[in-house]
Amino acid sequence: MNIYVSGLYSGGNPQPGIGIIRSLREGYPFIKLVGVEYSNRVSGIHWEELDDVQVHRPWDELNLEAHGDKVRDLLDEGNLWISGSDLEALWLASIFPDGHANLLAPPGGALKGIAKPAAEALAGLPLKVPPFVSTDLPDWDLHAFCRAHDWRLWLKGPYYDAARTPGWDSFVAVRNALSKVWSTERLFLQAHVSGYEESVMLAAYRGKLLGCVSMRKRDITPEGKTWAGDISEVEPEFEEPLRRIVRQLNWTGGGEIEMVRDASGQRWLLEMNPRFPAWVHGATIAGHNLPALLVQAAASINARKPRRQASEFTRVVIEVPVRDDYPLPALPEPFAGAIGHSMKHPSGLTALAERLHKAEVAPGTSPEQPPASPSCIPQVPETYLADIARHDLTEVQTPKFLYLDSTAESLFIKASERARRMSSSEVEVVSGYSIKTNPDERLIRLAREHGFLAEAISLLEVHKALQVGFRADQVILNGPGKWWPEGMMPRGRLHAVFCDSVADLNRCVDAMEKGEMASKHVGVRIRTPNVVSRFGIPLDSPGTFAKLVEAVQRLPSNSAFGVHFHMASSNIGVAQWWHLFESMLKWCRSIEKLAGRTIEILDMGGGWFPDDWHATDDSRFARAVETVKAMLPGVRQIVSEPGKAMAQPSMALAMRILEIQEHEHDYVEAVVDASIAELPMFAFQPHRILRHCPRTGALQPLGRGKSDLMGRLCMEHDIVAQKIALPDDARPGDVLIFCDVGGYDRSMSYVFGRG
Amino acid sequence: MYLVEAESGAAVSNEQKLESRRPVSARWEDFPYSRLSHHGGACCDVAREWVLAMDFAQLNGADLSSGPRWLRARYKWGPSAWPMHWCELVGRKVIDCGAHAALSREAFAARGLTAFPVQLVQRYSEGAVEEWRGSWNKEGVSCHWLDGEHIYHEATALLVGDGEVKIWDGSAGSWANPRQSGRGYGSVLALRLFADPESVTPAGFRWGDRQIAANVWNELV
Repeated sequence: MNIYVSGLYSGGNPQPGIGIIRSLREGYPFIKLVGVEYSNRVSGIHWEELDDVQVHRPWDELNLEAHGDKVRDLLDEGNLWISGSDLEALWLASIFPDGHANLLAPPGGALKGIAKPAAEALAGLPLKVPPFVSTDLPDWDLHAFCRAHDWRLWLKGPYYDAARTPGWDSFVAVRNALSKVWSTERLFLQAHVSGYEESVMLAAYRGKLLGCVSMRKRDITPEGKTWAGDISEVEPEFEEPLRRIVRQLNWTGGGEIEMVRDASGQRWLLEMNPRFPAWVHGATIAGHNLPALLVQAAASINARKPRRQASEFTRVVIEVPVRDDYPLPALPEPFAGAIGHSMKHPSGLTALAERLHKAEVAPGTSPEQPPASPSCIPQVPETYLADIARHDLTEVQTPKFLYLDSTAESLFIKASERARRMSSSEVEVVSGYSIKTNPDERLIRLAREHGFLAEAISLLEVHKALQVGFRADQVILNGPGKWWPEGMMPRGRLHAVFCDSVADLNRCVDAMEKGEMASKHVGVRIRTPNVVSRFGIPLDSPGTFAKLVEAVQRLPSNSAFGVHFHMASSNIGVAQWWHLFESMLKWCRSIEKLAGRTIEILDMGGGWFPDDWHATDDSRFARAVETVKAMLPGVRQIVSEPGKAMAQPSMALAMRILEIQEHEHDYVEAVVDASIAELPMFAFQPHRILRHCPRTGALQPLGRGKSDLMGRLCMEHDIVAQKIALPDDARPGDVLIFCDVGGYDRSMSYVFGRG
Repeated sequence: MYLVEAESGAAVSNEQKLESRRPVSARWEDFPYSRLSHHGGACCDVAREWVLAMDFAQLNGADLSSGPRWLRARYKWGPSAWPMHWCELVGRKVIDCGAHAALSREAFAARGLTAFPVQLVQRYSEGAVEEWRGSWNKEGVSCHWLDGEHIYHEATALLVGDGEVKIWDGSAGSWANPRQSGRGYGSVLALRLFADPESVTPAGFRWGDRQIAANVWNELV
């Protein structure tokens, strides 16, 4: 009897083959061990404890049917096969759906039960699964998931590969790359859990758990892979349900449940691998030789009792002689103009993934399937559709921003009503309209009509607010350039002025003493200490904090004191924003205590994504108001500044298709008459896109597909949308409408390429 | 720790030193744990408020029981002269284990958690100890914490469950590993946790698989 072991890759992210070989050699010093690989570039084939090596052609060349027959022959002859590769295990399960007595890998049903990310079969274990979504969802919903989880996320491939995506632009780039590598659009996005990683390794034969062992990572590689660990017994409250699950799944072979333990001690499932982990021999060193247990169960040959050398293990890098019969292959030529040799996946695992998709063996979408399932199509609010339909889309001169009047008004009404509900006799809650998000007079007027204050960052903006009908005492002035341009300071008393620096505060005090400026409230903007920001007075050292306290003490006593802080919740995530809010209240309490000034006005914002602001029920805001009351009892007014949440939904951008270019593999490039000059936020947030059907007049939301929309500019990066599903009957002249452009898309749009 | 107390606590005779059966903690039997001093004025008020507000900010929404690793990132571990006031501490770049432990304890308490002072005896090597002795001598600071291959160290115990603690080693920026205590380079040989005698049970606290009696040295070898 020979034992065939695959998965010998021994780079920085190693497979378990060599660890299995080492453990088997300890358990069975005289048995013949044969290493199996699919590339002679895999260094593990040179491991000296291998009695023989079989190097097959890489997976992209391999005749899978013939290879399957060879494996079957080997197993029928009484040899054992231990798979050290997830994808090979998946392929083997397709060849042997009910297993084979000598195949030490799990059957197909078991693999389905542990499929990432839910791994439903593991539901009985004391684990939680970090929140996740499939990238099948519309971009709009994926962006919402990212915000909800503070942009602390992993975008994961169907088998391997995971990348952090801290922003929308990086998410889109990684999604494109992983989809291409793994030949599927079906990736998943999962919330990060901070903590310490640990694993449980198991060995089972035909549904009987032979052994399991726990490992905590004690040192990791830059990729997060185990470099050192400690080994211990699995607790009974984990082992008992695991035993039941193994029986239910009829598991055979090795397995690894990867987890992370958070600060509260809760364990979260990362994934379950259908093979032994690469650290398998670390457990053998600690006296738990699971590969030997597995062979013992399958072959009924007793293994040598393992020798416990230590309860901890670590790794070193060693050089080994290259086998004469497998001399090193040539290093590929670097791609011209590129850096490096592109050596990842030498055995062609990605090609195997594609072949399994085509054979419908693996989960994921085959390249032939239409990529835009109905779930990819975003929900567009009815008010948007009704407002857009009121414009004459056949005659509209494009590109053109369309004002969605009833949508805009409904948002201001909602915000105004919420502010009223949050107010009490002790504390008034009022909304502030940030003029810079969109200085369109129609929006400023709506703000005034619905009881908002006007938030200005320059005297030009103050002037605009006054022109539209705000009184000076309804205007808040803040920002680093608030004195610009000179000579425009209103004569009337402002509602509040917030100083952005100590120098700004000195200037403000000076102007008030000279009678050049008057304000009911004067305060400071404080810089977020843990989120990078250029605005406000910093708190990053006790020295700067002391300066802030001294500066506050110099503020004139005939104005009420206030504090302003602002950080875009869409950038840092909703939960982190609320943590920042609480943190800021603590800083405010310290400032009050040390400066001896009571805070009477609190101005907090902003940059809220509309769905986060308008869809959330009142409870979170009500709790925030109660927290303010408890921590800062002197506060009489809270100015809540939702930022782009008010403006963004209020406009759409109509554009026409100028040309449709059809390429290979159904890829389409459509040139439109709009550009990044009208959509400067195109890389930072998704936009919901509608197509106006010229035949029926219907507004059709577009899902994901194989078309890119190219802007009209002669600029390489002028691509306003990627991977959308343009209808087959789309023609030049058709009107497309980008929703959600009423915020910074509109206010930061610029004139470019118009002569 | 105050230098005077440290020096008096370290006054151990040679005979005692030679006694092989004495507990590893004997040299530090009467050592008090470190406490920060306050000038009673605005200087220390500002410093303390800054540390506690910054600690909450640095959590970034993480679990309140997360270790305050930012303190170790801001303040390197090294020789410190005592007594130490809040306003002096925040201006330093290097602080010793007693100051790290005191800061961590204050931070956990300000988050609403229960934290206790912890003293440890750890084993390193005579070579390491001599290196440290040189560094401490260079700064003119007492070496009372060094003894052969053993060192006196301070940390913070955080109550995380019913009688269960984790030990935050602020100087290292990591949690002490209860599985490793008892032998080897860097291991914990003895531990004393200070808690209000009125509020602890005779069983004391659980640290990993170990039971720790409060207010006495627990030998872990």
